[in-house]
Amino acid sequence: MEEGRAERRRRTEAPSHTQGGPRRAGVMTDVHRRFLQLLMTHGVLEEWDVRRLQKHCYRVHDRTAAVEELEDFINNINSVLESLYIEIKKGATEDDGRPVYALVNLATTSVSKMASDFAENELDLFRKALELIIDSETGFASSTNILNLVDQLKGKKMRKKEAEQVLQKFVQNKWLIEKEGEFTLHSRAILEMEQYIRETYPDAVKICNICHSLLIQGQSCETCGIRMHLPCVAKYFQSNSEPRCPHCNDYWPHEIPVFDPEKEREAGTSRATKRSLRSRQH
Amino acid sequence: MSEQSKDVCDPNSAAEASSSEVNSSPGVPGVLSPPASQAATLAGPETPPLGPTDALLASPPPQAPSEEGDPKALQQASEEGRAHQAPSAAQPGPAPPAPAQLVQKAHELMWYVLVKDQKRMIIWFPDMVKDVIGSYKKWCRSILRRTSLILARVFGLHLRLTSLHTMEFSLVKALEPEELDRVALSNRMPMTGLLLMILSLIYVKGRGARESAVWNVLRILGLRPWKKHSTFGDVRKLITEEFVQQNYLKYQRVPHAEPPEYEFFWGSRASREITKMQIMEFLARVFKKDPQAWPSRYREALEEARALREADPSAHCPRSSVSED
Repeated sequence: MEEGRAERRRRTEAPSHTQGGPRRAGVMTDVHRRFLQLLMTHGVLEEWDVRRLQKHCYRVHDRTAAVEELEDFINNINSVLESLYIEIKKGATEDDGRPVYALVNLATTSVSKMASDFAENELDLFRKALELIIDSETGFASSTNILNLVDQLKGKKMRKKEAEQVLQKFVQNKWLIEKEGEFTLHSRAILEMEQYIRETYPDAVKICNICHSLLIQGQSCETCGIRMHLPCVAKYFQSNSEPRCPHCNDYWPHEIPVFDPEKEREAGTSRATKRSLRSRQH
Repeated sequence: MSEQSKDVCDPNSAAEASSSEVNSSPGVPGVLSPPASQAATLAGPETPPLGPTDALLASPPPQAPSEEGDPKALQQASEEGRAHQAPSAAQPGPAPPAPAQLVQKAHELMWYVLVKDQKRMIIWFPDMVKDVIGSYKKWCRSILRRTSLILARVFGLHLRLTSLHTMEFSLVKALEPEELDRVALSNRMPMTGLLLMILSLIYVKGRGARESAVWNVLRILGLRPWKKHSTFGDVRKLITEEFVQQNYLKYQRVPHAEPPEYEFFWGSRASREITKMQIMEFLARVFKKDPQAWPSRYREALEEARALREADPSAHCPRSSVSED
């Protein structure tokens, strides 16, 4: 009996440096567990934060080990999470392609993550805003349009003033982004709800022609209607003087954005200024 | 206490299942009926023994050999479900669900608990049943057990029944709580720092801290009740409402004080999650003094640390088992 227990502990607490062999199911150590705990605590994190987090976890639990390459580290954890229907998902911000990570539930039981945070009428307000955002051409829904739906909400009656505050709560909790009185989905919401959105709005949902992920904001071809994320556009048409639609070959009618991931990474040292810049953009 | 187990799914028996305890308290008479005791043994062996409250709820009977693997656990789980249907034969119970469904419920519950904890919300047992377990109420014990197992194995977290009275669970870190000392990611720390500031003030005073005293201290950090802060926002709301809602602080009217005054006390959650020694270390860092500069408080902290060690001898095991690797 004692042996069984000790064996089990050894199996689940095997050191991370035995990962050289074929990875059928990953091995969880305290490094991974702490990483998961902290990732869960923060909800959604940008890549530089994730790397810092990973290093912290190594420092706390296993100073001697070499810090595993982030992608492998995450894949390792995901192989364990697979049977639990959750995963560490990587996405990108739609406006400038910054990589973000979140622990997401793959089981699509409604807006499951939010369900415990908000009251019934608040959840319904979010759903209404979500629908407007998905149906819109720009990926943004105006505050006015959302607030006009306040009378149709399920649950307790909500006044417009209240609804404004609830919308702000969504922004603070990183479900929505506000820009000049209009709302779109935060990258966190896109990451966590992609599956739910695809299943709930199969007709209205837009998909990027390049990466095939959910698309809220992006550019579209005026001839054939296919859409692409701004970062996907930037990458696809990189140094192409005559950008043409990948689908119908017509001239691509929009300005090609330019993102420089290298510059972003180098600027990692001067994080403070970069942060304030981003928060303004958002 | 034993009568409660008539109700097939009550937090008491569910807690026993979730405690996945290895120790036994033979002194607790007749807390469990035999099927339940068998169930408790299916819980994993890795989780360290719980604190004093949980020892009372722990299953008394001796351990059966640990489960071999999932098939056996599932079989026992469904058998147990059937066994429990017999006593409450007033209504014909539904057919026991397929093992896969129980597993799925456990995963749903795991996520539910993680999200509640992320939002620093109370994990309330009746909510768990209403929101997640639903019609699988009869099998909530095995569902809870599986969920605890997963949380321990994958996240290094313990799902504990922290208060039978209020039927509250909480997720406790099984790993050493370095987050309080170290800044893993800056956006979490400010809140903790602010909270620790107030908690240590209360601790040093040895009794409640008047609101005026708290603001005197917070003024050092540049925080004022009427000013919105870039990180904390409305500080007054944060400390008098949010921290109170999260049970980190208690905010009470001072009896017989005119004009009305309020004072702060440690909340139940603070008492659970934060040790006196951590407060001493915090004070030492902030004031750049040796913790022994507060001799009586330091002595108290040592006492508490000793008591915790005695109640929880393998609480330090996680560290040692990691270093063994």
